[in-house]
Amino acid sequence: MSSWQQTFGVDPWKDRVDRAFARALVLPLLLALALLAWLLGDTLYRSVSVQVLKADEGPGKTYAFGLSANEILRQELLARGYTEEEVQSALGDPRERRVLLMQNRVELMWNTHEGPFRYVVTGLRDERIADFSLLEGLRRWQELKANLKEGERLVLNPWLDQSFLTRVPSRSPLTAGIGTAIWGTVWVLGLALLIAIPVGIGTAILLEEYVREGRLNRILEVNLRNLAGVPSIVYGLLGLALFVRGMGLGPTILPAAMTLALLGIPVIVVTAREALRAVPESLRLAAFALGATRRQVAFRVVFPAALPGMVTGVILSAARLIGEAAPLLLVGAAAYVPFLPNSPLSEYTVIPVQIYLWVGMNLPEFARVAAAGILVMLLVLSVLYFLALYLRNRFRREW
Amino acid sequence: MEILREKPSRNPKEVLTFAALVLLASVTLLTTAGIVLSLFGEVLQFFRRVPLAEFLLARDWTPLFAEPRYGISPLIAGTFLVTAIGLVVAIPLGLALAVYIAEYARGEAKARIKGTLELFEGIPTVVFGFFALLTVTPLLQKVIPGLNIFNALSAGLVLGFVILPYVANVAADAMESVPRSIREAAYALGARPYEVALRVVFPAALSGIVAAIILAASRAIGETMLVSIAAGQRPILTLDPRETIATMTSYIVQAATGDQPVGSTAYYALFAVGFTLFLLTLLFNILAQWVVERYRERYE
Repeated sequence: MSSWQQTFGVDPWKDRVDRAFARALVLPLLLALALLAWLLGDTLYRSVSVQVLKADEGPGKTYAFGLSANEILRQELLARGYTEEEVQSALGDPRERRVLLMQNRVELMWNTHEGPFRYVVTGLRDERIADFSLLEGLRRWQELKANLKEGERLVLNPWLDQSFLTRVPSRSPLTAGIGTAIWGTVWVLGLALLIAIPVGIGTAILLEEYVREGRLNRILEVNLRNLAGVPSIVYGLLGLALFVRGMGLGPTILPAAMTLALLGIPVIVVTAREALRAVPESLRLAAFALGATRRQVAFRVVFPAALPGMVTGVILSAARLIGEAAPLLLVGAAAYVPFLPNSPLSEYTVIPVQIYLWVGMNLPEFARVAAAGILVMLLVLSVLYFLALYLRNRFRREW
Repeated sequence: MEILREKPSRNPKEVLTFAALVLLASVTLLTTAGIVLSLFGEVLQFFRRVPLAEFLLARDWTPLFAEPRYGISPLIAGTFLVTAIGLVVAIPLGLALAVYIAEYARGEAKARIKGTLELFEGIPTVVFGFFALLTVTPLLQKVIPGLNIFNALSAGLVLGFVILPYVANVAADAMESVPRSIREAAYALGARPYEVALRVVFPAALSGIVAAIILAASRAIGETMLVSIAAGQRPILTLDPRETIATMTSYIVQAATGDQPVGSTAYYALFAVGFTLFLLTLLFNILAQWVVERYRERYE
């Protein structure tokens, strides 16, 4: 064999290496996908459990599917031995009814010892006798059912249900909910975007339509690149020193929103610049040729053309910000807030921080509550993600 | 573009718009100034109470003890340990994925892989922390005796997957920017695809690849939730991956969620650690930019 054949060309061993190499390269992708599937499956599995519970008050009855919360509470109170008048007055008074609903969670269970899809009323002080994973619980279902004692009930509990979404946090995993955190996220994210969108898009327009080169451009670009590399928790320290303490706003929604806004601005700038850059130069030149001023070109020609792209970018940035827990831990989100926030100066918590707090709890059932919380967060994120994807495809324009 | 360099307009509307945009953009500059100044003010307070030598050289970090010691080395060691484990996972996997994206995947498949990576990046790290603590750690405990519930190993392994998309994306971009002509020349000489990938494209894109790794390391150093949940919050000076450790970020979380009276040394210590973290990540980012500028292969 001549030397060039040895180096390249006809070498069967090299063919084999080549094929093996191409196959091996797919491995990391498969590994990452497997991890993702494992993570999702694990979270789903954890969010369902079979439980034996002992009611603190009353016989621990279950109620047929299709009843209203009011009717269930009425029957439950009657079962606990209250008279008809007492029940009427308790449910008639809106305040007492709210307190009742705070302390007793009306949930739909997938299965109970009295049949599938029945409501139960879980009280704040109900006692958990046992908690099994789905498979073990189903395997031992008959045995557990046979051994139920007076006042106990056996349920297949999907931790993520309607009442989980509306309830405030609780010291007991049985009645803990994510309602406060959802509203906190809505408030904080809403205010943060209110600040970050104009700043981010304004900066992008300045960089793409006004100063594409020169000193101002360089300063802003270098600064943005460095800001994007700053760990998010450092923004939290900024918020703590400047907004919470410096401005005296305290651990409330407003400083949290300001902190999150600063974190979001570099992300929004990047996506908005991409959208602006996708608008072809010929459009600008045509407008200039018609005598349009720079402002008219930027805001009446380029901005509308880039709008769908920018909206997509903002949605993706919002999705990124929803999951941010670290900076908000420093500006007050770790508080125990048993009420819904109602003003920018309310105390608050947000979904990822609430999950973090649940993961840190000692009782093992809090892992189930955390799993339910994670599912809620991932659901919200996937809705945003697909919305962005839809908008991107729906309004894609070929120039 | 000639037209973009015209004289500035004197029309008040034009001037006002420009001024408004500059004002908006200045918020980004103010953010940087705010970070530096707010950290710096509190850090000065800290070093008025604790000598710099103790901060840099002491070997324990015990702000809550009766006789507190403020040596940052345990936190640096913890950060380094978790980051190193993460990189051990992310570098081989990420680079292999980058080669696949840049050299092998075509059209649809490429877009789909990039979409998947985007999805991966979008998962909040608190979710990965939950997964590491409750799923990966119990599994590892079956294999590795003496593994703590909170340990650097499990946090680091999962962290590797968190920064993997980052390594893959940035490195793939670097490889894709290697001109096509160089590949064609190698093929013309009879090189196989794997030889082109490993011996032509990879070396040509090396500066970008190194930058990708440095940026990923910087991300790992700043990662907070995953580490605070899964690695624990106990600052000890060790490089044993089975141990419970504390990183700079997890200390900040721990201190911030506890009750730290404003004005106490422990409160200022929060900012001293934060400032160190800020400087370290800044250094890494500048280093990455420098590597790209200095060692870029130019093909014109």
